[in-house]
Amino acid sequence: MSGKIIVITSGKGGVGKTTATASIGAALALEGKKVAVVDMDIGLRNLDVVMGLENRIVFNIVDIVNGRCKVKQAAIKDRRIDNLFLIPASQSDNKDALTPEGVVGVSEELKEEFDYTLMDCPAGIEQGFENSIAAADEAVVVCTPDVSAVRDADRVIGLLYARSITPKLIVNRIVPLMVERGDMLSHEDMVDVLSVELAGLVPMDDNVVVSTNTGVPLVLQKESKAGSAFRRIARRLNGQNDLPIVVPQSQDRFWKKIGSRLGIGR
Amino acid sequence: MKKNSGQEKTPVRLKGLGKALCITLDPRDPFDYLKDELVKQFQDKKQLAVNTKIVFDFGGFQGYDDLIVELSAFLKEQFAVGDVSGPLKSKPKHANRPKRLEDMEKSWHKYQSEALILSGRVRSGQKAAAGKHLIILGDVNPGAEVIAGGDILVLGSLRGTAIAGNPDNEESIILALDFRPTQVQIGGYVAAGNPSSAEKMIEFAHIEQGTIVVEDYLKADPFGKIPWPQVR
Repeated sequence: MSGKIIVITSGKGGVGKTTATASIGAALALEGKKVAVVDMDIGLRNLDVVMGLENRIVFNIVDIVNGRCKVKQAAIKDRRIDNLFLIPASQSDNKDALTPEGVVGVSEELKEEFDYTLMDCPAGIEQGFENSIAAADEAVVVCTPDVSAVRDADRVIGLLYARSITPKLIVNRIVPLMVERGDMLSHEDMVDVLSVELAGLVPMDDNVVVSTNTGVPLVLQKESKAGSAFRRIARRLNGQNDLPIVVPQSQDRFWKKIGSRLGIGR
Repeated sequence: MKKNSGQEKTPVRLKGLGKALCITLDPRDPFDYLKDELVKQFQDKKQLAVNTKIVFDFGGFQGYDDLIVELSAFLKEQFAVGDVSGPLKSKPKHANRPKRLEDMEKSWHKYQSEALILSGRVRSGQKAAAGKHLIILGDVNPGAEVIAGGDILVLGSLRGTAIAGNPDNEESIILALDFRPTQVQIGGYVAAGNPSSAEKMIEFAHIEQGTIVVEDYLKADPFGKIPWPQVR
């Protein structure tokens, strides 16, 4: 059985790549798939903290690539979700510790072991980016509704196409109220410029901060809107292509809609 | 061999021939008429003509060396052109087609295309460059750059930077179906992009009295005044 390697990238930093990787990884594992999330940000690892697994790290991705350990030895099993594994980044090495060839070298072993391997790509388009996409079968580009994030995402999408990878887009941190007021780019505007297939739309959610700080997976929080958005994205990536895209809406709009239905709205 | 005065005169044509300019005319037409026509043709290409090599094409007619000398003196005096020579001897096929005059309207047929036509989206960080004209069938995203020695035509949205007439061709235009560039440059002039007009219209940028002007293309119809198609 051969799994898939999906790279999660964005170009710009701080748009939610790590959160998306952790959440989609957890959601795919909840779907019953065996999933590894790999932190490719050598020297600035974060994914272990977001997943609450930082105290169990023994080996890391650099050790695997350099042949110091097997994938199985380095993969840390999640505490709450079966089938979810973390392969952390090295904190002490510098960015040159990995090469694209080295990553391609371990990609077969990863595909053998896991149904899905999610690569959390570092920001930027330098060495770390090259390493992350070297072995990728698919790519997901995370982008927030900012002009600057769109610009960087566009660049990254161009680079991915140049390597024959067709990316999908996640629009993260949508504030429906601001979109309705016209103060925020709508996802239609973004798709207009980026012209790639949508993987999903994720609303702004305070639960993300809580989840990141406590290490409790976002997708396990039942009331989290972002969590359920990531669960739908995971199902789409898992082959459920007909799942409709849910556009985040403000409460306001919801009541207005009901009101107008009943004929009491403006 | 003079033509009858009542007979219709053949128009004088100018076209690029590598780095030279080729002037096509009927040597049987009266000298004054040819002079007037040449002035008309050169009027708006004054900068272009300076020191440019000129080649005459008499449509296959031989033995007008005197006319070449006369016209050459006239052009050098009026427009400071470079060398002037008669029909190129290296193209013997001209001699085999003495009645090419009827075909003058189709003079662009043997013209090699100098336009680069690209289809697809030009994304941020990408750069599409062409020596002469550039046509993009698709969109140009913010952060992308399109550069051409001649015109830039975007059949889609232009949101990035467009540099036409690079480095110094001020005749060039930049046209887009949806014109909202970050910045446009024509022949060294620079203009910052501004928000597109609310109503959807096809706009184009060109140079007018030393500044870049953006106009509704269909309303301005800049090329509609040219009476017959000519190579740009």
